[in-house]
Amino acid sequence: MDQLNVGETVLQARNVHKTFGTKGNAQHVLKGIDLRVTRSEFVGIMGASGSGKTTLLNVLATIDHTTDGTVLIDDADISKLSNTALSAFRRNKLGFIFQDYNLLDTLTVKENILLPISLSKMSKREAESEFTAIANVLDIKALSHKYPHEISGGQKQRTAAGRALIHQPSIVFADEPTGALDSKSASSLLDVMEKVNQQRGVTVVMVTHDPVASSYCSRVVFLRDGKTYSELYRGDKTRHAFFNEIMDVQAVLGGEHVDGF
Amino acid sequence: MLTVFELTRRSMRQNVKHYYLYFFALIFSMSLYFVFTSLQHDQAVQNMTHPSVDFSAGFQIAGVILIVIVGIFTVSANGIFLRRRSREIGLYQLIGLSKGWVARYLMIENILLGLGALLAAIICGALISRLFVLILLNLLGLEGIVDISFSVPAAFKTSMVYLLIIVITSIQMMLKVYRSTLLNLFQADKRPDLTKPPKVVASAIFALLGLALIGYGYELSGHINEQLFLNALLVLGSIVAGTYLLFRVTIRWCFYRFRKRKDGHLGLTNSLSMAPLMHHMKANANSLTLITMLSAMAITLISMAYAFYYSVEQETRRDLPYDFMFENEPQEALSFKMKLEKEGIDVNHHVVQAVLTMGSILDPNDEFHKVEESLLWLPAEQLKQTGADLNVPPDGEAILYNAGASLAGDLDEQSKRYPTEIELEQHGQTVMYTLRTLMERNIMNLNAPGRQLLVSEATMDKIAEQMAGTPGYKVIRFDTYQVPDKEELAIASSIYAKHVSDERLTYDFYAQYKEVLQMTGLLIFIAAFLGLVFLISTGSILYFKQMTEAEQEKQSFKTLRQLGFDVDMIMKGIIRKQAIVFLLPLSIGMLHSIFAIKAASFMIRSDTTFPASIAMAIYTVIYFVFALFTIGYYRNIVKNAMS
Repeated sequence: MDQLNVGETVLQARNVHKTFGTKGNAQHVLKGIDLRVTRSEFVGIMGASGSGKTTLLNVLATIDHTTDGTVLIDDADISKLSNTALSAFRRNKLGFIFQDYNLLDTLTVKENILLPISLSKMSKREAESEFTAIANVLDIKALSHKYPHEISGGQKQRTAAGRALIHQPSIVFADEPTGALDSKSASSLLDVMEKVNQQRGVTVVMVTHDPVASSYCSRVVFLRDGKTYSELYRGDKTRHAFFNEIMDVQAVLGGEHVDGF
Repeated sequence: MLTVFELTRRSMRQNVKHYYLYFFALIFSMSLYFVFTSLQHDQAVQNMTHPSVDFSAGFQIAGVILIVIVGIFTVSANGIFLRRRSREIGLYQLIGLSKGWVARYLMIENILLGLGALLAAIICGALISRLFVLILLNLLGLEGIVDISFSVPAAFKTSMVYLLIIVITSIQMMLKVYRSTLLNLFQADKRPDLTKPPKVVASAIFALLGLALIGYGYELSGHINEQLFLNALLVLGSIVAGTYLLFRVTIRWCFYRFRKRKDGHLGLTNSLSMAPLMHHMKANANSLTLITMLSAMAITLISMAYAFYYSVEQETRRDLPYDFMFENEPQEALSFKMKLEKEGIDVNHHVVQAVLTMGSILDPNDEFHKVEESLLWLPAEQLKQTGADLNVPPDGEAILYNAGASLAGDLDEQSKRYPTEIELEQHGQTVMYTLRTLMERNIMNLNAPGRQLLVSEATMDKIAEQMAGTPGYKVIRFDTYQVPDKEELAIASSIYAKHVSDERLTYDFYAQYKEVLQMTGLLIFIAAFLGLVFLISTGSILYFKQMTEAEQEKQSFKTLRQLGFDVDMIMKGIIRKQAIVFLLPLSIGMLHSIFAIKAASFMIRSDTTFPASIAMAIYTVIYFVFALFTIGYYRNIVKNAMS
């Protein structure tokens, strides 16, 4: 694990601020966040609701603009890119996994997964072999021709993961990927994500409020009130030990570890 | 405390941007119904037209057709609205409101909307009826100012139609509320119609059957006039069934094959066009069939009406090549000419000397067919002097001119009888002349006696010599008049009417032209507005359907935008989808209507190609406005999907 942590910087956020609303009624959600993600890291971002974790993810993932500060991905300053360039950037460099899957209901599993490369110059044969490789890792090869309404939530989320990986992005952003899954499907998805991270060296940034999910990460960043509160590295610890550490930090964070209740 | 009414009011205000086109379409068609029924009951315009033009019957039929269209339109639109509000209907029930409450709530909303539209329709109708009368008078070629008063019976009838619409839509709403389960209501947009692969053999059979039915319909439409009523029903039935199968099976089968061959590598554009279309193929098959048939009917209606209106002058000229004609009345003719000259009207007067004999035209296919009839031999050289468009036939040969030929059966069939022989009996001897061919127009006005045969002057003189003294032999002097100036012709026509005030059946070109113009003017007036209602209905149904789909796909657009596809890339797929959704029914409908127009062309002698093309072009242009509206709506949704 250690050798993966020492790598080139993929994402660098410096002093990121985000304010919503107009001057009189402004809501300062991110208050100067610094974050560096290196190649092949699996970073978890945790925090209570309202701590700004989803906002941070959106800003890092170029879906939203920062109010202040810079975000560099693969050395490109994404705040300086035009909307068209941002679209192309997301298409080529980023992968997304959403809490509610966001698969296209009208497309089969395979069509959904191949969608991100539909406009790339990849040949059909290459795409096909890439699809087979990913579908095998995610264990959804047999579902290729099924539609989203015909498969389970866990299978849908693995399909979404496939869609996030097919174009070999620099970073995969995952927003509460296990949020809508039962614990069994959740752990099978996390196993797969860990496997992909380790075997293929895919960099993952995952927002979650679930300590179990973040215990799969190599590093967990805690947010509190729009600022980085602390960081935990997994190192050589077992997942269980790491989980306990995460729980301890959460307890200090204010007992809000059962998010939303 | 939120009352049902308060809730309804809020919901209506929220839905108004979805309803506005529905409202517009409903108000437009109902205003038109009001105007039509007003005109049907109004005497003022009726009194200005020729007594043979049946005014009120025309508007009555138009009114019935309007009711049918409005019925189809409201039921389709209401179905679409109910589908898009499924989740809302389900939510009310989920929070514990009874089905009865939900049904009542929907019905109150429906009645309030209906009342608003009714009021608007009657007010609009009353306001625009004047404009409509002006348009109508213009089309009829009449001048003058007509005051049309507010018609109470029309308002009553319009209200009755509304009542009917409200009853039908209320029943539709009750069925929706009472017959769907909560699960259905919440998954209305998620559940695809047809994703299972079509069964290969059955699909192939039905796909071919669809094409065969359409082909059979087209084939049969070619000789529809043999047994008009039965054939028309058969054609309609087979085309409707064929079109439905085409959309439901044939096109789906093609899509399925194409998609299967792509094996997942569908691409963005197809993912946004073909995939959602297949997703709702069953519902799409119904609405596309409906729209195809409505388009076909509308295009046929407008094209035929316009063809009639467009060719009035040509058609009348076929019957009456001369503005005025006097037969063996040189004194009358002369005094008429003097009256015209007194009014300062320029007139071209020519005298044509023709010969009338008895004789029979033989049928080469039927040796025993021999009917003796009056034959009018007209000298080509003299007719040419009058400015008639003709070629002088060689000596000994004749050409038959008959404007009403097509009434006697299929022209292609008839033309097989020519060339043939004409047999003349003179004093026990028979003489034969060659009859070269048939022309579908008259060379002398309709009321001239006998069959009109054009021959060279020499031939005519020879016949006169041979036949003089035989029974039925007569030399006829025709005084023909042409008035080149249109306005002077109108005055001349009224002078002629006074001049020949006796009981005889007289024909002058201008009076005849006016009468037919009024009939076809009424036809085009009704057809154009009915066509517009058809068009607005079909366009609106497509627009509503696409609007609903756009909203259902909103999340997909958001996802695609997040994945890094920009608005233009997504719009490319959407435009392809709209192209399929709008072009497919239009082009198939147009093909249907081309065959329908061909079938109906036996009613009209002039070429329908030009007026039909014009009518189709106008229809297409207006139709595409709806496609543009839809694309605009989509673009807005895709643009704002991220926020």
